[in-house]
Amino acid sequence: MSYRILIVDDSKLARMAVGKILGTVHPGWTRVEAANADEAVARVREATVDLAVVDFNMPGRNGLELVAELRALKPGMPLAVISANHQTEIVTRVGEAGATFLAKPLTEAALRCFLDTAIMHLEAARS
Amino acid sequence: MNEFIEQFLVEGRELVAQGSDDLLALEENPGDKERRDSAFRAFHTLKGAAGIVDFEAMAQTLHAGEDVLSAVRSGAVVMTAAVTDLCLDCLDQVTTWLDQMQATGEVPGDAQARADQIARQFRLVSEAARPVGAASFSEATEEVGAEPQRGAPPPAALAVLEEQVTLLRNTAPAGLRGRRSSAVRVAASVLRGIDRSSEAADFERLAGATAPPEPLAETLAETLARLVEELSPPGPAQTASPGATPAETSVRVDVHRIDALVKLAGELTVAKNALGHCARLIRDDTDPRRLAAELKAQHLQLERLVADLQQSVVALRVLPLQTAFQRFPRLVREMAGALAKPARLMIEGATTEADKTIVAAISEPLLHVIRNSLDHGLETAEERTALGKPAIATIRLRAMRQGEHIVIEVEDDGRGIDLARVRSVAAARGVASAAAIAAMSEAEATDLIFAPGFSTAASVSDLSGRGVGMDVVRTTVERLGGRVFVSSRPGLGTLIRFNLPFAVMMTRVMIVEAGGQMFGLPLEAVVETVRVPRAAIAAVGAARALVLRDRTLPVIDLGKSLGVEPATGGAEATIVVVSAMGQLGGLEVDRLGERLDVMLAAPEGLLTGVPCIDGTTLMGDGRVLIVLDIRELLE
Repeated sequence: MSYRILIVDDSKLARMAVGKILGTVHPGWTRVEAANADEAVARVREATVDLAVVDFNMPGRNGLELVAELRALKPGMPLAVISANHQTEIVTRVGEAGATFLAKPLTEAALRCFLDTAIMHLEAARS
Repeated sequence: MNEFIEQFLVEGRELVAQGSDDLLALEENPGDKERRDSAFRAFHTLKGAAGIVDFEAMAQTLHAGEDVLSAVRSGAVVMTAAVTDLCLDCLDQVTTWLDQMQATGEVPGDAQARADQIARQFRLVSEAARPVGAASFSEATEEVGAEPQRGAPPPAALAVLEEQVTLLRNTAPAGLRGRRSSAVRVAASVLRGIDRSSEAADFERLAGATAPPEPLAETLAETLARLVEELSPPGPAQTASPGATPAETSVRVDVHRIDALVKLAGELTVAKNALGHCARLIRDDTDPRRLAAELKAQHLQLERLVADLQQSVVALRVLPLQTAFQRFPRLVREMAGALAKPARLMIEGATTEADKTIVAAISEPLLHVIRNSLDHGLETAEERTALGKPAIATIRLRAMRQGEHIVIEVEDDGRGIDLARVRSVAAARGVASAAAIAAMSEAEATDLIFAPGFSTAASVSDLSGRGVGMDVVRTTVERLGGRVFVSSRPGLGTLIRFNLPFAVMMTRVMIVEAGGQMFGLPLEAVVETVRVPRAAIAAVGAARALVLRDRTLPVIDLGKSLGVEPATGGAEATIVVVSAMGQLGGLEVDRLGERLDVMLAAPEGLLTGVPCIDGTTLMGDGRVLIVLDIRELLE
């Protein structure tokens, strides 16, 4: 089952890195990219996006703020926030926003874990 | 090169530029929260990027820097000049690593040592900011600095001081206190011995500061090391410039410009089809008048499209001057520091655009002019205050577009050009005869600074160097097809203005030697070059002709027709077959040279109106190359 996943990060290099890992885990999925919160919201509005992986530290609206917005747009959409800062405070806030915290640099294991859970949710939502 | 590394290099350079910009702006405006956050983000993102390409050493260094900037955000660390310096040094090192990676395509293997050094210095700043006696500690570190401009201390003294640094760097807990107090005593006593009592007192005060023992020892070591460096005789000139960027072979282009080109390509296809239609009309024997009208309309359309195309292509090569200007604020800061002449660079019009070639080539001349301004043009802070001028000098860098030209100005509020001195130095250096110089108007005398070999530095400073003068600046600018002017007001300042073409159209020429001189032939007119036995050239009345592959070509002796020496004979003749307006001709020359891309300047002065000349250009060795008009030659 092929899903559409949105990758949001102001660094193209970081998006490439996530994309590369994704390509190993789920090569058949469609990738959509956005460089900031505004673009991300536009992508979600214009076409189906099943799940999203969002960088925490971005200029303008940060990852947490974007997650809140996406929640409102599409409740139930699996969301993950990637950050290099593992401070307890951030991890808690991500959890409170209903998203999964993923540490940077992203590993295949961590992403796989998030995606497996996400797929379960998406399939449950279908039925 | 691996695409990740490629992207890393692109983003890395952008982030370094952004970070430097933020740090400098933050220094001007310490309260600017946006800049503070942006600087933090630059370090944070650089750290992340280093992680992605597995450049561990760089990631570690940037992590330490990020911690310091985070502490600045939370107010635990004060953003002093020393901290800014450290952050900028770190970014410089990142640039060096990026340059290495650009050349090798791989992560540098020898980065760990330097990375550790910088990370350690960052950590010292972070730790020095711990609440226990924090504020006074970091201030005290600042205070321990050597007074500039005194004779260098004897090497033995420096050696002993360096020994104490090593002692202090040994932070093994056993005997730490003992080592520290001994080292401090010896260092202070040596400093007093070389007549640096105030530095000695500062150092002792620092040693008495409240701080945990290990960081204290490290800070003392670093501070003493810095002091030793300041006291050491100056080494070979440290050019502040982080080095010229390796030649850029790619350009970032605005997506809209690409879209415009795509649209043009579509329109050109339509025009092409319309011409095809005309061809069919001819075949079907259409009324000639209708045909003529159709052809004319299509020709007009094509003309418009080709003009648009040329403009769009030129626009692709266009970059904002910011690309050239961006390293200047940093360099001015360092040069002003090195010369102890506080100065500020204000930039206007950095978004003005110019052709990539111009933007790349103008950087060095501008830098030289700015260096000159700092070196010679600006007074010291004391002199300025005595004159009632603000202690911090201002250098303004302005860029604007004026029609088909770009104007860039460098203006300082310094002492202006001392004409009397310029005249006397010019006479001393034999630039012109004393009489001629005395007779020169103010404007002409001012222009003397562009004479080759002219340098008025009484003591040749490390920065401006000897002989790399304004003459090189002028030559470079003229080779770009521009001009440079200087105007000055005594006591008020100097203004240097560059007038440059907005776009550079290059012509390919082939160099030939005829009659002992070099000439350029536009390559588009050259069909081929042949060597033929002299017997093959037949005399036809007063003229000569050659039969080449069943075509008869007139043969013209280039040297003779241009009024220089005729071709040196020889068993074989070198002929360049050229074509213009459908006519073919053969030009006999002595020798063929290389092919060059040149920027053609319209003939001026004595050369205007001389037939057969298309234009002139300045060659690399400074000689003028005359480029010939083939059509006129053949007539």
